[in-house]
Amino acid sequence: MTLEISHLTGGYSGIPVIKDVNLTIASGEAIGLIGLNGAGKSTTIKHLLGLLRPQAGKITLNGINLAEKPAEFKKLVAYIPETPVIYPELTLKEHLELTILAYQLDPDKAWEKARKLLTMFRLADKFDWLPVHFSKGMQQKVMIVAAFLTDAQLLVIDEPFTGLDPLAVANFIGLIKEAQESGKEILMTTHVLADAQKAIKTYAILNQGTIEFTGSLDEIRGHYGLEASDSFDKLYQLLYQEQKNA
Amino acid sequence: MRELAKKRLQGNFQQSAKYLALVFNDFFVLALIFIFGAVMFWYAQVMKVLPVKAWYYPLVLSALLWLAYLPGKLVTLLQTADRQFLLATDDRLDDYLAPMRRYSLVLPALLLALAGGIMYPFASLKMGLSNLNYFSLVLALFFAKVFEQGAVSRSLTFDHRVKQVTWLIRLVLLALLLASLYFLPNALYLLLALAVIAVLALQAWKNSAFDWQYAIDYEARRKETVYAGFALFTDVKERQVNIKRRKYLDFLLPPFGKESPNSFLYRRTLLRDPEYLNLLARMTAFAVLLTAMIQDPVWSLLLSGLVMYLTVWQLLPLGQKYDQNIMYRVYPIAQKERGQEVSRVLAWALLLQTGLIIIFWLAIVPGQFAWSLLLLVWCGLLAKGYLPYKTQQLAKKSRYKKRKK
Repeated sequence: MTLEISHLTGGYSGIPVIKDVNLTIASGEAIGLIGLNGAGKSTTIKHLLGLLRPQAGKITLNGINLAEKPAEFKKLVAYIPETPVIYPELTLKEHLELTILAYQLDPDKAWEKARKLLTMFRLADKFDWLPVHFSKGMQQKVMIVAAFLTDAQLLVIDEPFTGLDPLAVANFIGLIKEAQESGKEILMTTHVLADAQKAIKTYAILNQGTIEFTGSLDEIRGHYGLEASDSFDKLYQLLYQEQKNA
Repeated sequence: MRELAKKRLQGNFQQSAKYLALVFNDFFVLALIFIFGAVMFWYAQVMKVLPVKAWYYPLVLSALLWLAYLPGKLVTLLQTADRQFLLATDDRLDDYLAPMRRYSLVLPALLLALAGGIMYPFASLKMGLSNLNYFSLVLALFFAKVFEQGAVSRSLTFDHRVKQVTWLIRLVLLALLLASLYFLPNALYLLLALAVIAVLALQAWKNSAFDWQYAIDYEARRKETVYAGFALFTDVKERQVNIKRRKYLDFLLPPFGKESPNSFLYRRTLLRDPEYLNLLARMTAFAVLLTAMIQDPVWSLLLSGLVMYLTVWQLLPLGQKYDQNIMYRVYPIAQKERGQEVSRVLAWALLLQTGLIIIFWLAIVPGQFAWSLLLLVWCGLLAKGYLPYKTQQLAKKSRYKKRKK
């Protein structure tokens, strides 16, 4: 049960944004992908979801190659986008029904789980509403509920904290911890390290399309020569300096 | 601000020109010429037999000129982002709105000139109005429009009284028109003088506090009306779709678990997205109306059949609706059978339409059972022959487009 990204090079219209990215996430492991805007985080995620075709390298999950068996691969992946993507025509209930149909979940078990998630995120009374009319934070909760409903092996989470209230953030972190304990793999991009480090211990630093370093926050401090008293913002300044000097 | 207004007006003009070129295509222009010619011929014939100075003529003239006065809302071209970027420009807003008001008068001026020109023979020959009086009357309507739009631009405040202000002006104008034509037909320049005074008085009417959100919403509604008009002839990509829940149509949905993810999605889109549902409803109503007007079974069958074909042909883009939706592409939804699934949903819509047409058919023109069966056969041919072929073709094209990316 492992996600393996090997020698991945890719981007848009033949221009490589990420270069020779290598990353392995083992069962029960969560990795935070951090870097400046434009470093290649979203591009990496798009490749991982099969939305872009790699120029080189491969992505496998449990030995299933994304390029060869995209349908099988996708059944093992759930995604929470940075900006909620809602079907304007579907109610909250129907978003969950579609998820059950698409991932071929057992309806009884899925509804039991859905009810818990909806209660947790205070959406139970909005069951028959159109989420397109929800606030951004509430739409993000719909994306979280749908993703955790799937029981997918790999959770790909893109900058999830924007718009969520503190209660929802705490619940979301709890869910990530639970997912780790049940042996799932998690890849999450974020700038909000204060929240992320409650659930994620390992981080990969992506800079100029390349993973520069992977390790715990303490190891990252050591690698970049940061003092214990230094704010983590200093890391971003260092990455920016590297970009300028490149 | 004046420069911004000019730039936006230029952009709006280009956009309108683009859509108008599509609306006024060769066939539509030809149809318009025929319709206009027929109406003018009828008008000329009627003018020959109409008596002079009948009591209801002022009523007819007032109503027709007043109807021509109504179209033409204030164009502001305000955008959602203005709430953020122009928030601190309240004191310079008049620089922005002045060219907008002038631009907004183009359409009303054209319509009033057209209506005024058409009604001129009636007014002069049958009502006995002098050229000066009639010209004053039409010009008074134009100045009333200047006043209306000036008043609207000064009412985009937190009082939210645009609608009341607009309709108050319109109703007062109608009353003045009727009163002038009945009681002062030889002094219509007084109406013109009144309209000009009203326009001059606008200078004293200052904006209190401009409500940006209200003004932006007002413009969005105006644009939506314009786009809806264009959308009758062509696809309008700028159009914002307002999805409604329409719970009352849920009985048309199969129970959960009885359909594939694609059918699940397409069926709901068809019932809730006004672009598709309105099309289906409009075309069905059109077929029923044709039947009611023609009352001939053969022609009803032929025209209803044509309407059904045009309906499904226009509904075909439903299959590509989610091509660019990231969650649709990430979810493990089988793409192989997508063409057939779209085809099945459209066939279901077609059957619904056929059923409704037949019900109305039998109600309006009784004894048409055999013809109804023929319509059902046509529905079957479209559903089993045309639709699967077209949707499969479009699905292949869409997959090819994706691969090219």
